[in-house]
Amino acid sequence: MTQPAPRPTMPTRAKRRIPVPGQSPAEDRMLAMIAALASELAVTRERLDSVERLLERANIVDRAAIETFTPDAAQSSDRDAIRRRLIAHIFGPLRSDADAQGDA
Amino acid sequence: MSHPMLPATTHDEAAAQLFVRDFKMFLTESVEPGHRARAERLDPGASSNARVETVYDRLHADEGFRAWASLRRTSQEMLWAGVSESVARQADSLEALAAAAPEHGSLTLDPNFVQPAYLDSGDVHLMPGGYAHDDGALLQGAVMDRGGAVYMLGRNGGLMNDVRGHTIVAHIFAQYPDLDPREILELGCGVGTSLIPVASAFPDAQVHGIDVGAAMLRYALARARHLGATVHLHQGDAENPPFPDASFDLVFSSVLLHETSPAAIANIMAQCYRLLKPGGVVVHLEVPNRYDELDLWGKIRGEIEADYNNEPNWKAAISADYRALLAQAGFSDIAVGYQAATSTPLRGAGGFSDTSMGTFRSWFVASARK
Repeated sequence: MTQPAPRPTMPTRAKRRIPVPGQSPAEDRMLAMIAALASELAVTRERLDSVERLLERANIVDRAAIETFTPDAAQSSDRDAIRRRLIAHIFGPLRSDADAQGDA
Repeated sequence: MSHPMLPATTHDEAAAQLFVRDFKMFLTESVEPGHRARAERLDPGASSNARVETVYDRLHADEGFRAWASLRRTSQEMLWAGVSESVARQADSLEALAAAAPEHGSLTLDPNFVQPAYLDSGDVHLMPGGYAHDDGALLQGAVMDRGGAVYMLGRNGGLMNDVRGHTIVAHIFAQYPDLDPREILELGCGVGTSLIPVASAFPDAQVHGIDVGAAMLRYALARARHLGATVHLHQGDAENPPFPDASFDLVFSSVLLHETSPAAIANIMAQCYRLLKPGGVVVHLEVPNRYDELDLWGKIRGEIEADYNNEPNWKAAISADYRALLAQAGFSDIAVGYQAATSTPLRGAGGFSDTSMGTFRSWFVASARK
């Protein structure tokens, strides 16, 4: 049995992308990463808002209770891990650069 | 209103597309005014013979301007990236939906087609692959349709993106009320956002569209079929449309000319004349600005779009003397002005005047009779 031909990948880069005079490619990239990060955050916030509203509609969660929620020790530890992974992920390029300096 | 072929979005894809819309709005409404004010301070004055170039160069000396210009481009790249990812996810279902459409209308592809050099030199609006990209299916059309609707921020008929087509119909009703076209052609029909409203206004006409993109046209055919419009689509170039002389009663284009080249604009005028039957009408709808009526910032903004959003023919298209170009091509009854934007064209409603009502409220139109 033959496999169907793999679907061609869609192009991801536009032809003709000229540099902004005076701007370093590093700054252009950095701004793009910040914009992507802001987008991810906006998407997550919107999803969280949907979840909260659905839970409230189902009488599972009172949204006011979220404001007074206090995690126990294990829950705090889980949340520390989430936060630290996020920091390591976002600031990964900074660490890569420092590691490269250290290796040199 | 929407239509069945329009790519759907998941919760997160919709949120990401709304982010792009609002990010673009922020960059335009909240950040741009500061750069505009600075441009006015940097203005060497009307006596300068390189006023726009001078201010454009001086603006680039500012880090904040550079950051704004590059984020403006980034927002556009994010738009296409988000839409592409969403379209790729539903590739199979879009193709199945296209295959299930009622079979009316037709598609004629040209395996030897080569896109014009002005399109090959850069992907217009930074859409990766450009209008002519052939993915072997219809995905590029789906990207264009969804991306276009997001790009217009809902101001051109929402997800149908069809106000320009209705506005062309309104112009015909206003200026050529006797026209009863039997054969209609759109040059550069894309996914058919303008072709469908024109087709529905003249239900007895045979309606044709040409475009450079095979994937664009496959999608356009499926989109039209699901919308109940019978259209005949052909892969072709507006400078060399694949039809005999005197084939049409109405030939039109919708925001096509500013994506071509100065030489192409003149050639397209001549081709429209060739394609029309005697008494036939040509209508070109364009962006609602004239270069000489723009203020300094309007001109600077055009340079930004040309450089960082791949709109290289923008200035030539809005500077062209369409009255002279149409006369040179042999046309008479030439009308050049602004047609009020509408979603509901009505006979007797008029709406054509010498003055622009502003972006998205009216469109520039140059029309004439053979």
